[in-house]
Amino acid sequence: MATPDVIAEQDALKGINADYTERYGFHDAENYLFKAPKGLTRELVAKISEFKSEPEWMLEFRLKAYDYFMARPMPTWGSPMLAEVDFDDIHYFVRASDKSERSWDDVPDDVKKTFDRLGIPEAERKFLAGVGAQYESESVYHQVNEALEAQGVIFMDMDTALREHEDLVREHFATIIPPNDNKLAALNSAVWSGGSFVYVPPGVQVEMPLQAYFRINTENMGQFERTIIIADEGSYVHYVEGCTAPTYSSDSLHSAVVELIAKPGARIRYTTVQNWSNNVFNLVTKRAVAETDATVEWVDCNLGSKLTMKYPSVYLMGERAHGEILSIAFAGTGQHQDAGGKIVHAAPNTTSNIFAKSISKDGGRSSYRGLLEVAKGAHGSKSKVVCDALLLDETSRSDTYPTIRIGEDDVNVGHEATVSKVGDEQMFYLQSHGISEEEAGKLIVNGFIEPIVKELPMEYAVEMNRLIELQMEGSIG
Amino acid sequence: MSESIEVCREDELPPGAIRLVEWDEIEIMVVNCGGELLAMEDRCSHDDGSLAEGDVDVAACTVECPRHGAIFDLRTGIPKTLPAYVPVESFPVTVADGVVRIEVD
Repeated sequence: MATPDVIAEQDALKGINADYTERYGFHDAENYLFKAPKGLTRELVAKISEFKSEPEWMLEFRLKAYDYFMARPMPTWGSPMLAEVDFDDIHYFVRASDKSERSWDDVPDDVKKTFDRLGIPEAERKFLAGVGAQYESESVYHQVNEALEAQGVIFMDMDTALREHEDLVREHFATIIPPNDNKLAALNSAVWSGGSFVYVPPGVQVEMPLQAYFRINTENMGQFERTIIIADEGSYVHYVEGCTAPTYSSDSLHSAVVELIAKPGARIRYTTVQNWSNNVFNLVTKRAVAETDATVEWVDCNLGSKLTMKYPSVYLMGERAHGEILSIAFAGTGQHQDAGGKIVHAAPNTTSNIFAKSISKDGGRSSYRGLLEVAKGAHGSKSKVVCDALLLDETSRSDTYPTIRIGEDDVNVGHEATVSKVGDEQMFYLQSHGISEEEAGKLIVNGFIEPIVKELPMEYAVEMNRLIELQMEGSIG
Repeated sequence: MSESIEVCREDELPPGAIRLVEWDEIEIMVVNCGGELLAMEDRCSHDDGSLAEGDVDVAACTVECPRHGAIFDLRTGIPKTLPAYVPVESFPVTVADGVVRIEVD
């Protein structure tokens, strides 16, 4: 029996991600060990560090980052929605469990039920090499395949990694994204909690993906995970992250920092299926370094959130390094997906591709924002940037903000951009073959994003298609 | 052709202090890192802004860009963190008769 609240929630969601509330938008009762009051203070930053029994250098790092955060103004570019972020109306730290478990049986019941409902333990049994599950501020579960562990693969939450592999963490922490890189990176650096630490030893191939799942439960929550992935020489790893949150009438904030390091000859693929509820600001900094002959691939799918600002970057630092960014953004009512990617060719004979696809409907706005930079000395570099936008109606909006800086003559750079509208002729053609108007719309959209969806592992491609179908329901006709 | 430029008297550059000199339209910062005198171009290669207003880590002999946080090794001019990735120039420092000089060419 639906309560008036549930009916109101359903009304608010009308037309987009139609069953989000039922599938992901539910929330649990709050049985927390600690929940910080709203607002950010220097004392809270110190308390988070104390809670985690961190070494002195990390406390100093956090406090310095706090000062940077307070000193920096909010960016004035991006989306006007940024002005709506209220940093005083957020819980910066919520502890649901006092440790990260290695067996689901030891995870608190409420939390385990949530992840069961999201299908995580089942996916782990079927096709994953390791799983991390973060609930509010901290990891509640982390496990990696024993065979991989025997080969020296480290996959654990960042808090545990700081305790158990302090030197390795310290060597790489914030070297790709320093705390003063931007205001949101400074915020994450001050209050970071959870996230994954992955180290793959030389030559080790992690054939099945590692997955992290991030879940927000509390209203007005801030989640600030910190992830570092290091693929040592000649190794390979595919890391997949997913995220959801309950549907509330007030806003939450997710602001992650993700740093990837692909050593010579290594390959990292990082796949995101972002499906936050439409009351989450998703303001994330993701950056990678690819050394000689290394490859980094970002596969970035943004469906949910109120506002996403995210531009995964690859710095090609060694000769013949390769970077690839595949991005899908889907913006519906009240959403702004400001996505894209950045590639910097800092060494000779490096190659890169950016393929970005965006779909806007029901008044949603999607933007492609990208940078392609070829530094002086990066001769023989090749890059191709393609960004395509599909508008499903007259009220939606799409913008493209490409920046290209070329500091070398002997390079090959291509840029293509298209904006298209679902045309009457396309619809008529499909309908003349007996396909309903709604089905025809879905077919066109699926065809539009297919080049990127086919890069997802099969299980995620199926989920992605299903999510797109949900987004499309009721949008035509 | 190498040229020697006077910076200041040695006692005007105590540990932790920074002096700026200009040569051929390049700003150069001279830093006393715990007794070791080091000279590096005062320019972040990420956005061409000044580094001298950033924090100097005397123990590590590094300077942190005040705008986006890139950290430069004062001994070599090589960035140790992104977003800077191109080295800036560093210069030899000499002290003779109580006067600090840098060698440029």
